[in-house]
Amino acid sequence: MLSPHRTLDQLRPGETALVRCVGGSGPLRRRLLDMGLVRGAAVTMIKTAPLGDPIQYRVRGYHLALRRAEAQLVTLEA
Amino acid sequence: MAARSYSIALAGNPNVGKSTLFNALTGARQHTGNWPGKTVEKKEGRTLIDGREVLVVDLPGTYSLAACSIEEVIARDFIVQEQPDAVVIVADAANLERNLYLALQILELGAPAVLALNMADTARARGLRIDTEALSAALGGAPVIETVGSRGVGIDALKAAIARCASRPSRVPFALDYGAQLEAEIAALADQSAADPALSARYSPRWLALRLLEGDASVPVSAELRAAASAAAERLAAALGDDAELLIADARYAFIGRAVARAVTHTSADVSPSERADRIITHRIWGLPIFLGLMWLVFQFTANVSAPLLDWVDGVVTGPVARWAAALLGAGGLGGTWVESLAVDGVIAGVGGVLVFVPVLMTLYLAIAVLEDSGYMARAAFVMDRVMRALGLHGKSFLPLLVGFGCNVPAVYATRTLENERDRKLTGFLATFMSCGARLPVYVAFGAAFFGAQAGQLTFGLYLLGIGAALLTGLAFSRLIYRNQPAQPFVLELPPYRWPRPRGVARQVWARTRSFIYNAGTIILACAVVIWLLLALPASLDLRAFNAVEPEDSVFGTTSQLIAPALAPAGFGDWRAAGSLISGVIAKEVVIGTMSQVYSAEAPDDDPDAATPTLLEDIGEIARSLGEAIVLTAQEAINIVPRTVNVIPGVKLPEADLLGAGDKGAEDTTALGTALRGAFTPLSAVAFLVFVLLYVPCMATVGAMRQEFGGRWALYQIGYTLLLAWAAAVIVYQGGLLLGLGA
Repeated sequence: MLSPHRTLDQLRPGETALVRCVGGSGPLRRRLLDMGLVRGAAVTMIKTAPLGDPIQYRVRGYHLALRRAEAQLVTLEA
Repeated sequence: MAARSYSIALAGNPNVGKSTLFNALTGARQHTGNWPGKTVEKKEGRTLIDGREVLVVDLPGTYSLAACSIEEVIARDFIVQEQPDAVVIVADAANLERNLYLALQILELGAPAVLALNMADTARARGLRIDTEALSAALGGAPVIETVGSRGVGIDALKAAIARCASRPSRVPFALDYGAQLEAEIAALADQSAADPALSARYSPRWLALRLLEGDASVPVSAELRAAASAAAERLAAALGDDAELLIADARYAFIGRAVARAVTHTSADVSPSERADRIITHRIWGLPIFLGLMWLVFQFTANVSAPLLDWVDGVVTGPVARWAAALLGAGGLGGTWVESLAVDGVIAGVGGVLVFVPVLMTLYLAIAVLEDSGYMARAAFVMDRVMRALGLHGKSFLPLLVGFGCNVPAVYATRTLENERDRKLTGFLATFMSCGARLPVYVAFGAAFFGAQAGQLTFGLYLLGIGAALLTGLAFSRLIYRNQPAQPFVLELPPYRWPRPRGVARQVWARTRSFIYNAGTIILACAVVIWLLLALPASLDLRAFNAVEPEDSVFGTTSQLIAPALAPAGFGDWRAAGSLISGVIAKEVVIGTMSQVYSAEAPDDDPDAATPTLLEDIGEIARSLGEAIVLTAQEAINIVPRTVNVIPGVKLPEADLLGAGDKGAEDTTALGTALRGAFTPLSAVAFLVFVLLYVPCMATVGAMRQEFGGRWALYQIGYTLLLAWAAAVIVYQGGLLLGLGA
């Protein structure tokens, strides 16, 4: 069954969505939270790097690059 | 009566102009070193506030105090353990939300703090108005000062706020309201930790309770308290549906959201200039060519532009300076003694070995500082990450590896741009396999002696072999040694583009160069003296023959003879080859110097017929050659253009030749060539070159590795490269014999 919620890596360029929750564990999850990816944060996908990965986002007024694998940990509101 | 001095710390996110503010506060009165036992740069400076001397410590840039990285641990431990009289939280005024997240944690720690909203001019230009009073009120009354570090704006107000803050006697931690359920658990845990006097003397009980709920394993508490904390976290998760770590981060950002909404007004909401620049700079198609172009520029800069000055330093130290020292010692009645030899061949040669790296390192540090300051370094990592990840590395590892082709020493230092210690160490390790400029003369000498027109292919093959060795090592290390460590996350801020500030860049270049001279320089000097000693000491240990012994009969020669049999399977089990390899540890190109000494039994040509120049002539020559070196430096800088264009097949743009020197051609190595052909077969020559490529990088690189990664890592590296070089050379030689190439 497909998850009803998309994850951050599925956003298209220019698309904005709100964060629902952050998965993963340990320092990585902590880092994502510290960088402001908490519930309700608005994230805009800017673009992917020339080789398709990582992905550039805008969140809380600054720009953040995440690898696809990390972006998958962030679930979005439907 | 002298007023009591006190100390303050600067904390803040990376890329918020913290260094600029640090410079604005301390001016030139600063000192750069490393944090004890860490490879993280520590900066300290002094300033005067109201006539009192204040020690300013620049903490590493961090996004949080969660203690997930070395930088976070250093910053947190400093604030908790050293208890600075005030903490200046430097925040980017144009990017307040994420910056306040760290500020909040520092305030919760109970540190007396001042918030500096730096780069306030940029924020204003982007249409942001910040009500500092309202923000200060939201943050429990911590003073909020707008500053522009690069122009010294707001520094006086900041100093005044620091003085007020430091003179306040009590520390009342800022308490954020986390909501009823969380607060109940926090209060219970805080009570429990307050009961332990040793603990509450050090940490604020409330802060400790929060850290425990967040699952921080680094705070030193009893097993009992930790168990209570995890029970509390479980209760919270059951009641609220989320874990405590998430709830706490949520609450902090929610609080910040409200504070910012009250204090900040947006007067315009256009796309930032950086975002527009990124449309081209990290463009799907143009991103890679732009990246490669810039890296090519950096490489040209470090490898070629610094070369004339390097030659000049080398010429001055080995020429006039050595002569002066000899003359001075001669006047003191020590001419021709071992003292003269130690001074000239040991110490001065060693000092020269340190100084020749200064021009290379300065150009590299200049390039790095500009790339970092401008904000491009993060983009380079963004563009290259996909490729570097395949090696178990980070996008930022590319630059050190590239610089390694010029010289391994700056490559090791270039790893400082990486945030993570594991990435730094692995990248530094791999960078030494990049065939540096000093190995090239060895390839050329052998190539000319054995392979004539095919010498070019041989050299190219060796470069590829170096890259291959790095690839395999990188894969092996990330699969075997780092197997149990989680993959390093790539959560990277892409900071706004900025014009690099010349003064900041110059300061960074100088601080890092000085640190090299002090740290790695000591090792290089020591090695040079040791090698001199080995060459001067007769194997018979007959001290009457000290410094008057043939290389073959010295301790150096005997050691070489001992080592030689181990090299026999690789086809060059001759003490002279072994000896050349030993002295190649000083610098790889020295292999050739030693070879011409031991194979042709000819002392290096000292031109004995030439009259010794006078002091005045020497000084004139130094000045003239410096002028020439500067012209050549400019020429090399100009020639980057034709060399770049000439990469395109079929294009041949002429290169500038300002001094009309033309191609000076390779050194005369015909005598050596004949000797080499007598001692090596083409096959053993290739095996020898493979060994030269892979074995222990020069002592300067080892010194740099020791400085950056610690002595143990440097030793690992020596052991690993020796084994790898030996194995590769043996495979080449024995494999070649099997294929019938030994004739």
